[in-house]
Amino acid sequence: MSITNEQMIQMFTTMNKIRQFETRVQEFFADGRIPGFVHLYIGEEAIATGACATLRKEDCITSTHRGHGHLIAKGGDLKLMMAEIFGKKTGYCKGKGGSMHIAAVELGILGANGIVGGGGPIANGAALAFQYRGQDNVAVCFFGDGAANQGTTQEAMNLASAWSLPVVFVNENNGYGISCPTSKSMAITDIADRAAAYDMPGVVVDGNDVLAVYEAVSEAVRRAREGEGPSLIECKTYRWRGHFEGDACVYRDENEVQSWVERDPIRKLEEKLQEQGILSPEKSREIRDALAKELEAAVAFAEESPLPSVDELEEDVYA
Amino acid sequence: MTTAGIIANPISGKDIRRLVAHGSVFDNQEKVRIVRRLLMGMEVAGIQRVLYMPDEYHMVPRALRGCRAKVETQPAAIRIYGDQTDSTRAGSWMADQDVGCIVVLGGDGTCRAVAKGSARVPMLPISTGTNNVFPYMMEATVAGLAAGLIASGRVSHSEGTFTPCQLEVLRQDKVVDIALVDAAVYNERFIAARAIWEMEKVSQIFLTRARPDAIGLSAVGGQLHTIEPGEPRGLHLRLGPGGRSLMAPIAPGLIAAVSISEEAFMAPGVPVPVTTSGCVLALDGEREVEVRQGDSVAVQLSTQGPLVVDVGRTMAAARDRRLL
Repeated sequence: MSITNEQMIQMFTTMNKIRQFETRVQEFFADGRIPGFVHLYIGEEAIATGACATLRKEDCITSTHRGHGHLIAKGGDLKLMMAEIFGKKTGYCKGKGGSMHIAAVELGILGANGIVGGGGPIANGAALAFQYRGQDNVAVCFFGDGAANQGTTQEAMNLASAWSLPVVFVNENNGYGISCPTSKSMAITDIADRAAAYDMPGVVVDGNDVLAVYEAVSEAVRRAREGEGPSLIECKTYRWRGHFEGDACVYRDENEVQSWVERDPIRKLEEKLQEQGILSPEKSREIRDALAKELEAAVAFAEESPLPSVDELEEDVYA
Repeated sequence: MTTAGIIANPISGKDIRRLVAHGSVFDNQEKVRIVRRLLMGMEVAGIQRVLYMPDEYHMVPRALRGCRAKVETQPAAIRIYGDQTDSTRAGSWMADQDVGCIVVLGGDGTCRAVAKGSARVPMLPISTGTNNVFPYMMEATVAGLAAGLIASGRVSHSEGTFTPCQLEVLRQDKVVDIALVDAAVYNERFIAARAIWEMEKVSQIFLTRARPDAIGLSAVGGQLHTIEPGEPRGLHLRLGPGGRSLMAPIAPGLIAAVSISEEAFMAPGVPVPVTTSGCVLALDGEREVEVRQGDSVAVQLSTQGPLVVDVGRTMAAARDRRLL
């Protein structure tokens, strides 16, 4: 694993950026200031961060409805993201997409997705284009455990392997599809086991360890770039918040949540970096303070931006 | 009541070596099938009760649903975290329950985890991991018979078990960890995805056993010497330019060039210092111990490894005394 101190500090920064952004969105939603639903990524920051840290700008990702973390990790602008979540005209989708549809093709972000399992075919399409053009770019498809049971995901994995497409399927197994535990929705416990059926490598990693995610996805990306085809990385993790904000979470008990909070991926990384003398407590505070300022600017931008006008209702509609 | 234990590791055989090498794939359903065959053998050999490590996949209950073995089963009363400490705590709990034998399904890493919790209970390790030097690649029906013969006492420990050597990791002169087959000094700062596969990052290797037909780091030593598991000597290799160059299968499907600059046999109880700081120590193929600047870390050979069932000798004793 070749990774510099600067890269590790960057990953620490990205994870904190996601955490602060999501915490703020949570507050706004509770205050009734955000239209529509939001699905927060708190607790899963290591996966998007570790995976996207292996990518180039021209590589693509497809995301899920829990997509804010992926977008931030791939370089999304907090101002444009926050404006979109507020439904403002200055947002990534001119305020018409909202949380679940943020896309920024220029950054390789092919969209969050309101369809469970919607990302696989899109990632395959991007990967097929890379392959056709002779480019060594890759597409990373983030998907949850619920999406793992969708036909689209299985079809995408099958086709990606059959055509040796440069796709990395990154599964975020947080144990629940909405309120249904995976023990009731799947006959298996490890989604990575399904990779063998498609003749691709499947591995399980600790999704709360950003370095483990980084190392595994790095190798999968290397394979994809070198024309060796797709891989499946299953990251075991947990979402601290409900499936959506407002979810009463009656399907899980507090002890379970607490046991995962104790495995906080950000604290885990911070402790490691401090033990190794890579990150001082002062530097850590500086990073968090700077992020807080960046976030405040994004909030101000979103609040001050105009809503789209009614005249624009039918613009940008293509389907 | 004649009791045996089963520790089937649901996470063995799924690490990054499927990406960086060509590690075998053991999905959990295959492990269930192995447990079924194991139970059939155990029942015939006289096991009445099986204690098992619980897991999310419910491997032992699933196995029971698909076979006719009539044994009483009970899950270990431990909390499951989904990591290797489960195997250690399950082994320790089973030792407290006086099981006569523990069958382990996993690789070298799983066997090490169990040994940390139950070194004095005979272990019968079956391979379902990646680099499998310690566990047997064998048919589980026979393993079940052998486990039953040992657990019931019909074949004694002196007839059917042996005590291999193990490696002890010393930090500031205190034993902090063990390895059953190999320890390697790996030039990485973090444990991350755990496995090791880049030989240019290995500066020292410590081995309890070496054979030319082995896989993993043991194969590197095996190109120089043969050291059988019960022999009271180990091997310390220092890697670097200027010495003997050789090729060895260091992981499934991965054969690497290695240059040995120094080699020496290890005697029991004599610590060999780890001479790199800012590295990790990989134990039985997995990065486990972070070594920081200023740490004093050493590795020593111990003749007090875990008690292991010798299946061949056990079955031969059963044949000679017409026990089956």
